[in-house]
Amino acid sequence: MLDPVILIQVLWTSVASASFQVLFTIAFALVLKVTGIWNFTQPALMGVAFYAMYVAVNWFALPLLLAVLAALAASAVLSAGIERIAFRALRRRAEEPITYFIFTLIFAQFVVFVLTLLFTPEPLYLLADMVPQIWLVGGVVVTSWDLIAIVLSAGMTAALWHWLRATRQGQFMIAVADNADLAEIYGIDKERSFLAAMLLAALFTTAGTYLFATKLALFPELPLHVMLFAVAATILGGIGSVFGAAAAAVAISVLQQFSVLVIASRWQPLVVFAILFIAIILFPNGVRWRGRQRIADGRHSEDGGAAAASSVTTQD
Amino acid sequence: MEFLASMAIGVGIFVILASSFNLIIGHGGLMSIAHPIFFALGGYGSALLARDLGLGVPPAILLGALVAGAASVALSLPALRVSGDYLVIASIGFQLGLLQIIKNLDWTGGAGGLANIRPLFATYTIDTKLAYVAVVGVLAVATVLAVRGLVAGPYGRAITAMRDDEEAFRSLGRNATAIKVTLFAIGSMFAGLAGALYAHYYLYLSPEQFEILYSAAMLTMVVVGGVRTTWGPALGALLLQVLPQAINFLKLPTALTGPLQGIIFTGLVLFFLFTRPQGLLGTRWSPPARPEDDDDAPPAGDIMPPKTGVP
Repeated sequence: MLDPVILIQVLWTSVASASFQVLFTIAFALVLKVTGIWNFTQPALMGVAFYAMYVAVNWFALPLLLAVLAALAASAVLSAGIERIAFRALRRRAEEPITYFIFTLIFAQFVVFVLTLLFTPEPLYLLADMVPQIWLVGGVVVTSWDLIAIVLSAGMTAALWHWLRATRQGQFMIAVADNADLAEIYGIDKERSFLAAMLLAALFTTAGTYLFATKLALFPELPLHVMLFAVAATILGGIGSVFGAAAAAVAISVLQQFSVLVIASRWQPLVVFAILFIAIILFPNGVRWRGRQRIADGRHSEDGGAAAASSVTTQD
Repeated sequence: MEFLASMAIGVGIFVILASSFNLIIGHGGLMSIAHPIFFALGGYGSALLARDLGLGVPPAILLGALVAGAASVALSLPALRVSGDYLVIASIGFQLGLLQIIKNLDWTGGAGGLANIRPLFATYTIDTKLAYVAVVGVLAVATVLAVRGLVAGPYGRAITAMRDDEEAFRSLGRNATAIKVTLFAIGSMFAGLAGALYAHYYLYLSPEQFEILYSAAMLTMVVVGGVRTTWGPALGALLLQVLPQAINFLKLPTALTGPLQGIIFTGLVLFFLFTRPQGLLGTRWSPPARPEDDDDAPPAGDIMPPKTGVP
């Protein structure tokens, strides 16, 4: 019989560890939902964000906050460039999905090679001292990193939910996600929504990278593997359901952490791949449950898109 | 001379890989990037059969190819139930999951890799290396011609019809799944053959060799050479094996050579994707471009992966 404190500890750790995965997953799921593109360039954003932070802190001795802002600027520029230069060009050429796939994957690889050339393939820590404060709460170890991670990811997720639901730009984005042409008829600039989705992806990826980098070391190739978690969560949560994907990210993290209790730790990474494969085969539309379709999440009918679009007539 | 022979063997192996990958993603339109894992399965299968079970190397090579072909069914049968985009993701999960298993099993050599693989010839002198070049060369040409023969005949027309309009194809009573699984198995079998040839020449296999980076290299060969062309992937394989060697002549530190070669690989693909998407030998393989005017651009939903659900 397992000690309940151990179970609570595993649960707490898995939820805290899920925080950056939630942010990466939201970034991935949002771009897929709005633009329809499986954005495998996301590891490039993560890599650029990390090394921008690393350079700012370790080469220029900037405070961490400024380093994060520098990382955000770098990833936002890269993300906007990908959308404006590459995705737009591919859209104009009416390329097949496989071309998007090749581009995104190869571009991510290209950035990995460039980062490897610049920073070597060795893992790097962002900060020299990353030991967090530790408290013992009822026998459960709680760290300052855990609290920051959970508050930041929950706060950003809630802010996105509110932004999508309560702002005009957010509603425009939902309308474009549902039916870009119909949205355009109602005066919404779909290209602007595509760009906004990519910029939000940069924001969430940078935030996730910050959390990751204040706990773990990173090497150029690692983001490619981290991204698979986001892909699995996106599929399990249901394509088009950004917040369903976020919930799935937490669920996978919990499952992965608890798997230590039944399988050897060396097999733990296999859990994500197994979930990914099973999710595609058994739940290609995600795990659905009642009452989950909400406008803020965009998982509604085409009429929903029209309704969202018709709630505005012109764009700012 | 030995350097050239080794390079020729590498080129031949990659011609087999690129041509068979072209059969799957180009002719079949099946978006899988798991080709490196079938390359690995052929290599590991053949190496283990020869080393641990005492099978002769030639039959082990053939069985290695069959192992890869059979394993492909494990991916294709369930994964092909869903649409192309999901196949890509499933293939990534399949590839990395199997690699994780290979890394953790003792009898595959684990993360340290599989050594002491039996060579095809007792020793590798210049003469036997040239003989290996001949073996690989014949098999590479045979692969290219087999792929061409497959897609040129009546079966090829069925493949094209299935790829271009699967719904219409099914409405005619044809079994699209059977064609996909068969294509997948044939392509993977050739990948396994390449893997076996690789294993019995280089005599060492490591799981790290078959990561996603390898998928990028294979995509590079196909895209640069020309998707859905007969000799394009072969040309791509030749270029992508020979060009990075130029870096070696610069006598740069090893830490720089790998990334620079990678930048050449991926940079070439990006260059070709935006300037000559049909590749060196290809004609346009994507749908015809629409007018430049934004207003006339096709709707996003028509050209990109489906946003919700799958057939």
